[in-house]
Amino acid sequence: MPYDDLRSFLDTLDKHGQLLRITEQVLPEPDLAAAANAAGRIGEGAPALYFDNVKGFTDARIAMNVHGSWRNHALALGLPPETSVREQVEEFARRWDAFPVAPERREDAPWRENTQQGADIDLFEVLPLFRLNDGDGGFYLDKAAVVSRDPRDPDHFGKQNVGTYRIEVIGRDRLAFQPVPMHDVAQHLHAAEELGEDLPIAITLGNDPVITIVAGMPMGYDQSEYEMAGALRGAPAPIATAPLTGFDVPWGSEVVIEGVVESRKRQIEGPFGEFTGHYSGGRRMPTIRIDRVSYRTDPVFESLYLGMPWTEVDYLVGPNTCVPLLKQLRAEFPEVQAVNAMYTHGLAVIVSTKKRYGGFAKAVGMRAMTTPHGLGYVTQVIVVDEDVDPFDLPQVMWAMSAKVNPQDDVIIVPNLSVMALAPAANTPGITSKMIIDATTPVAPDNRGHFDTPVRDLPETPEWTDRLRALLAAR
Amino acid sequence: MICPRCAHDTVDTVTTSPVPGVWDVLQCVRCLYMWRTTEPDRRTRREAYPVEFRMTQADIDAAPEVPVVPPLRVG
Ligand SMILES: [Zn+2]
Repeated sequence: MPYDDLRSFLDTLDKHGQLLRITEQVLPEPDLAAAANAAGRIGEGAPALYFDNVKGFTDARIAMNVHGSWRNHALALGLPPETSVREQVEEFARRWDAFPVAPERREDAPWRENTQQGADIDLFEVLPLFRLNDGDGGFYLDKAAVVSRDPRDPDHFGKQNVGTYRIEVIGRDRLAFQPVPMHDVAQHLHAAEELGEDLPIAITLGNDPVITIVAGMPMGYDQSEYEMAGALRGAPAPIATAPLTGFDVPWGSEVVIEGVVESRKRQIEGPFGEFTGHYSGGRRMPTIRIDRVSYRTDPVFESLYLGMPWTEVDYLVGPNTCVPLLKQLRAEFPEVQAVNAMYTHGLAVIVSTKKRYGGFAKAVGMRAMTTPHGLGYVTQVIVVDEDVDPFDLPQVMWAMSAKVNPQDDVIIVPNLSVMALAPAANTPGITSKMIIDATTPVAPDNRGHFDTPVRDLPETPEWTDRLRALLAAR
Repeated sequence: MICPRCAHDTVDTVTTSPVPGVWDVLQCVRCLYMWRTTEPDRRTRREAYPVEFRMTQADIDAAPEVPVVPPLRVG
């Protein structure tokens, strides 16, 4: 059942009617990005898009919007396509408990079929690169799983990181990339640059759908993404040894790019339309020299459109942001029921919890801000009661409208950390954060008039079934 | 040919279309802006390039380092 590569997942999407092949000739720009942008605007159940007739190319295969609907996300996890969002998050959380599942090393990686090295390296020969948004400074690799190791502890499997970062192609064999300080690769680069050493790196493109999900997932520094992929797949993740760096990379990748982040060097990068729905750019960022490219015959280039939400990236990093926060909160506060952190990678989150005693919900809100992911995100936490579903936004709005006394229930903490791309921060990287306590106060916090709530009638569940049956029988 | 973004007059050809003569990918040697010649005017022509995305040498010089290069650790 689990997919070992992108191609087998595309086949499954196809069988479920969730892969749309665009056979008419399209322009690389603006058509590819505009079509993927449009996939996020046509409502529920949008398909992945596959292009192989792109003007000027003889040999282009491009997949976009692969994770770009709840149906596709469910299929990526091997669930029925109609599985609800909340059920997908709950299943994700259940599988998390199997972590760690050791990966399985295989020798016959299909990307060994073709190699470019040294002076022969030309990324444009391997990939049909194209621009996404008008203001982007160039062509980007925005859905790669990037592998790096801690130079102080290179043999530690867990500290080997697999993450997704924005990567700009700035030459046939050169890239610029953005290591956000809160992310693991930034720690690796910091350590290498302190020593004046280049940081070896492997950039893998076109991966099985679960590798892409774990690469975008906020995990602990010494937790292995491959061991998490195994837990989510329900089977060991297949990995192989990259030929130049010796790093562990996905067995099924379409393309494996190896090289080094050049020590202590920065070059102008961007702008790039980001997941915040805003461009960021005009900064000098680290550069990568490519030393070797390995790729499957007839590689498929997977890319992702991002811009004003919702786009594919919001589906991709929705559940995988909810679950770590849920687990980290529950570790100390088992009262926490559910976490919806699907808005801008968790810049705003909604937590439902039982209350241990008065003031408890506010403590849960503060803890959400101080989780590892919260340090860079979680600028707004809405805390709701245990009987409010945080994925049901009308219910959340009811809780806010009926339970919140702003004087007592809205708390603003100034000058906290946030990732530098957060557009509302005055000084990039520093922001105020807010807790909205939309729970019912409990003793000794005796505020408001909440002692006579109207609850669903005891007979209502029975009537729900009856109405459904009557409607179905019409 | 000048760079649509910074108006610099040195532009490299990075690659050409596999089907001969359809498009080229060009790059400004100063601001590294990269574009395909078949893109819309708003991305390829200086006069149509949006003001909010234009860049000057001063912008490049003033661009902050992200992340900041740490001090070398000696010994
Ligand atoms: Zn320029």
